[in-house]
Amino acid sequence: MKKKAEKAITVTKSKRRGDAYQRRQNRLGYLFMTPWILGFLVFTLFPFAATIYLSFNNVVSTIKGWEISFVGLDNYVTAFFRNAEFVPALLEFLAMIVPYTFVVIIVSFIIAYLLNKLVKLKGFFRTIYFLPVIIMSGPVMSQILDVNVSEYAEEVSRYDGLFIMNMIESYSRPFANLLGSVLDELSVILWFTGIPIVLFINGLQKINPSLFEAAKIDSANSWQILWKIIVPLIKPIALVSTVFTIAQLGTYDTNPVYGLIQTATGNMSGGLGFAATYAWIYSLIVLLIIGGAFLIFKEKKEKKGGIR
Amino acid sequence: MKNNKRVRVLTQKLGKLLIYFILVCISFVFLKPIFGIISKTFMSPADVIDPAVEWLPKTFSFNNLKVAAGVLKLGKTLTNSIWFSGLMAICQTVVSALTGYALSRFKFKFKNFWFMMILLAFIIPLPVLMVPRLMMFVSIQEAIGFTLIGTPIPQVAMAVLGQGVYSTVLILIFSNFFNMIPKVLDEAAMIDGAGPAQVFYHVVVRMSLSTILVVFLFSFVWNWNETYVTGTLLRNTIELLPAKLSLFNSEFDSAVSSQGSAFKLNEAYKMAATFISIAPLLLLYGFVQKQFIQGIENTGITGE
Repeated sequence: MKKKAEKAITVTKSKRRGDAYQRRQNRLGYLFMTPWILGFLVFTLFPFAATIYLSFNNVVSTIKGWEISFVGLDNYVTAFFRNAEFVPALLEFLAMIVPYTFVVIIVSFIIAYLLNKLVKLKGFFRTIYFLPVIIMSGPVMSQILDVNVSEYAEEVSRYDGLFIMNMIESYSRPFANLLGSVLDELSVILWFTGIPIVLFINGLQKINPSLFEAAKIDSANSWQILWKIIVPLIKPIALVSTVFTIAQLGTYDTNPVYGLIQTATGNMSGGLGFAATYAWIYSLIVLLIIGGAFLIFKEKKEKKGGIR
Repeated sequence: MKNNKRVRVLTQKLGKLLIYFILVCISFVFLKPIFGIISKTFMSPADVIDPAVEWLPKTFSFNNLKVAAGVLKLGKTLTNSIWFSGLMAICQTVVSALTGYALSRFKFKFKNFWFMMILLAFIIPLPVLMVPRLMMFVSIQEAIGFTLIGTPIPQVAMAVLGQGVYSTVLILIFSNFFNMIPKVLDEAAMIDGAGPAQVFYHVVVRMSLSTILVVFLFSFVWNWNETYVTGTLLRNTIELLPAKLSLFNSEFDSAVSSQGSAFKLNEAYKMAATFISIAPLLLLYGFVQKQFIQGIENTGITGE
């Protein structure tokens, strides 16, 4: 009887101690998290909600402060139908970000795959490929692009005369234009691969080598190994790289939508409502693209249990 | 048999050579814009106009650099950029270290939720946040009667509270590094009577000086290159080098009269200005490139 009671006491004691431990963890955790949480609420979550709200309003700066009046969908109507610049800018942005991201991810994977096969000079090449991450900024990029444009101003694209481009063009003109623009800006696009390359190399090195050996014993060639082992295992990294690339391309200064948003933001006497609408539509599109990337790289659930 | 083996070795070697060849070609494409910038920077005016001169200038001259430095107001903008980026980097490093420590050491309630929020903060595009942020700072500035827009204060406030440039990446670097420091050390220090702040400072911070340096450098470089938030909140009241570079075109028209082949000359000046604005970063990269690359590897987003 007595023993049981003692046991009960120790149990409650240890439970209480557990509670104390948990409470201490909570307290310390939140103590260290406080600055970030505060900043997130004030500078990220609140502005995010406020932008959605403002996009339905007209904002005028007066001496008394901000005068906000509800206008319903008026800003959206203006953005899509009355303003002749917004929709083309948005389309231009889409035509930039989708192929760019695609090319960046594919090229950085190929480079990482090749680099991973090397023993010598690996560090040297990596240093070169990472360099743009350090020096890349909007103004620098636009200066370089400016020069590109002025040097090849006389032709639409400097690859226009090539036989293969003519062949592609006869097949599908928009695709040829797209390809031409991608090739024209290849240097600039490649500059976005710095971080994805490092992530891919890191991921490739973490693949268990015994998987390759097993595949080789089963007489798989390196092409099969690439598609059946490496690509499925590298998918999560491809997702991270894609998200990072989209975020980076999104904050890229020559982005046409940015210019519009910035002029609207600068117009304090009445443009802030429009700026909010533009920004919100733009962000929605970026978030949708990122969501699309998630869908593309989603691991198929039924296969998950199999290999591991 | 032997012959077969030799063929295989040969093809392997050829394959390696092919890989090197491809990588060298890619390196050239990577570096081409930089080579272009450097070669234009050091061309004399005669070389710039001469179409026969493409890469190597016939006569080196520092004329372009001089003109560009003058238009950029180099001395002032350089020091401004250095202290501004440095200040922001210090703020970001401190708050990322604290947040990373919380994530790596404590099992607090809703930890996963906050971790998701940290990732989300990275995905949300900046323009969607800037309008309310700007309105907020304008309102505060009117309420307290003290100018905020056009001073670094708003950006410092955002950096201190962990909402600076790519804060999420910095937090991930820290939290992954802290995960590698054995928890036993913390516990030993606690048994010896150290409080959480003391543990953090004397045990964890002391052990991660190299990581702190990496995060500081990343933050420095990213703040240096950041122009969107700076353009909205600082508005050129403090002239920074990259912002000045983007204004270069309009500034230039007033500084140099355009005549004849002035267009091409302009180009050379522009390239010289671009060179000036990336030179400090190139220098930095030359010294610590290894740390930079390891820093990204240590984010651990590639799965541990």
